[in-house]
Amino acid sequence: MIKALIEKLLTPKKGTFGVAANFESVEGILSAVMRARAEGYTKLETYTPFPIHGMDEALGNPPSVLGYIVICIGLCGTATAIALTYWVGTIAYPLVIGGKPLWAIEYTLPIIFELTILFSAFASVLGMLHLNRLPQFYHALFNYSGFSKISDDAFVLVIESQDPKFNAERAKQFLNSIGGHVVEVVEE
Amino acid sequence: MAHDHPHDTPVDSFRIPAGTWTHVRNVLAALALVGWAACLAGYLQNQDQFARSYLVAFLATIFMALGGMLFVMIQHLTNSVWSVTVRRLMESLMMSLPVGAVLFIPIALNTHSLYEWVHPEVANHFSATKAAYLSERGFILRAFICFFIWTLLSWRLWSISRQQDHSGAASLCYSAAKVSAPGVFFLFLSATLAAFDWNMSINPHWYSTIYGVYCLTGGAWAFFAILIWICLRLRANGILTNSITPEHYHDLGKWQFALTAFWAYIAFSQYMLIWYANLPEETIYYKVRLEGSWQFLTKALPLIHFIFPFFLLIARPIKRNLSVLGFVAAYVLIVHYLDVYWMIMPNYFKSGIQFHWLDLASVVAVVGTFGFFFWQRLKDAPIVPEGDPRLAKSLRFHNV
Repeated sequence: MIKALIEKLLTPKKGTFGVAANFESVEGILSAVMRARAEGYTKLETYTPFPIHGMDEALGNPPSVLGYIVICIGLCGTATAIALTYWVGTIAYPLVIGGKPLWAIEYTLPIIFELTILFSAFASVLGMLHLNRLPQFYHALFNYSGFSKISDDAFVLVIESQDPKFNAERAKQFLNSIGGHVVEVVEE
Repeated sequence: MAHDHPHDTPVDSFRIPAGTWTHVRNVLAALALVGWAACLAGYLQNQDQFARSYLVAFLATIFMALGGMLFVMIQHLTNSVWSVTVRRLMESLMMSLPVGAVLFIPIALNTHSLYEWVHPEVANHFSATKAAYLSERGFILRAFICFFIWTLLSWRLWSISRQQDHSGAASLCYSAAKVSAPGVFFLFLSATLAAFDWNMSINPHWYSTIYGVYCLTGGAWAFFAILIWICLRLRANGILTNSITPEHYHDLGKWQFALTAFWAYIAFSQYMLIWYANLPEETIYYKVRLEGSWQFLTKALPLIHFIFPFFLLIARPIKRNLSVLGFVAAYVLIVHYLDVYWMIMPNYFKSGIQFHWLDLASVVAVVGTFGFFFWQRLKDAPIVPEGDPRLAKSLRFHNV
């Protein structure tokens, strides 16, 4: 079963992924994104060697929902800890120690705090991975000839084929017209 | 985005217009004079009440200034870029510390109204070591040591920063970091010493090792509130509007948020250990604070000092909303005062909260005096460290 899953993950999908172009600088790719958006393209993605300030706004990406995931799971951690300490302290092992109440916020708060933090930490990391669709063993952009330069000095903009306005020829022309280099149709 | 580029950023004047400066100076001087006149009248009426109200006002502000010095040092140690535009304001708040030595005099002269250990009938019950420590001469000497350390450190950091205004030398950043590294160490030690002497010894039988950190954290919390409030007032008057952007306010808000959580951590640590050990000489601290109307303040503090500001500041858009941030700043300053009031006053008024007009008068006197000298620093000096090589980067700073 695992073998089948890995094979499925490694088998490329068929079809066109999109049209990619290299813009060679931070300013270049930011203005390319804005001009592509002005042209009416909505399914855009950029691939750059480092995070670029203002790119989220330029792409029109909504703010990340990660914070909401973390607070929900974190509060689940709080609830779990309260339930756990209450069950252990009053039902499973109702022992009076040092004349203290069976359950009290004073001695359970460290546990409540720690479980909240633990759940939140897991939610942050796993939530981040999920929202980024990671880990990913195969990506269509591997087929782009300038791919290896993306971790060096390439600033690549992709107009994806899922864009309602997508037409490979016109997208190529457009990316060429706004100064893109190595403009290529990338297959899945 | 377009405003990422330096040539698009309009540059502010880093000087306060002379008219505005004089106006604010006059207001602060008037506040200080009215406050001191009222304090003097109150002192002649009721010496004990004056000394106690004054102690609360003094401690609430001096720990704020200490929080300021701590954060100036942290900016230097972390080679922080974002904070460069607000660092001069931090530094001038820090420079209240030498003024504090003068404002300490009324406390040194009124120890008999404040500290029961000066009376021999109380001191006779102490162990030999405690009796040796809690002597009036030692109290003055330790206060002198504290103010000496604080004056030395704050003066050094200020003069390095001022030198850099003229020379712009990057090496001065390292000089400031070199002062800051031992500085943080001595600051924590001396702040603990001060908190033990000035706050904790009011009840000489009670002790808590974490008390100095508690006081310093509360002070640092209020320090960010006053810093945000000053920035917003400057902004309302058209000063530094392009230099302190919502990006910088966002980071100030993050610190406000972080210290809210840290205060709760420290306050709870102190409470939990005392609850667990259940020793009479330790639990007395909370027992007196759960009697009479004090219990309402005691039970409210976790809510108003932690829960409410924590959940208010947790969301990103709130920290970037300047009107909410302005509200938080004013709110934090009031709650900080209540926290210090709650630390000090139950020792004197066992039956319950007793606000007095002298509480307000001494706050006006102390804050007016500190404010006057804070403002004095900004007369000739630019209100942004204009020689700092990191300034240009700080002006363009953006949160990811």
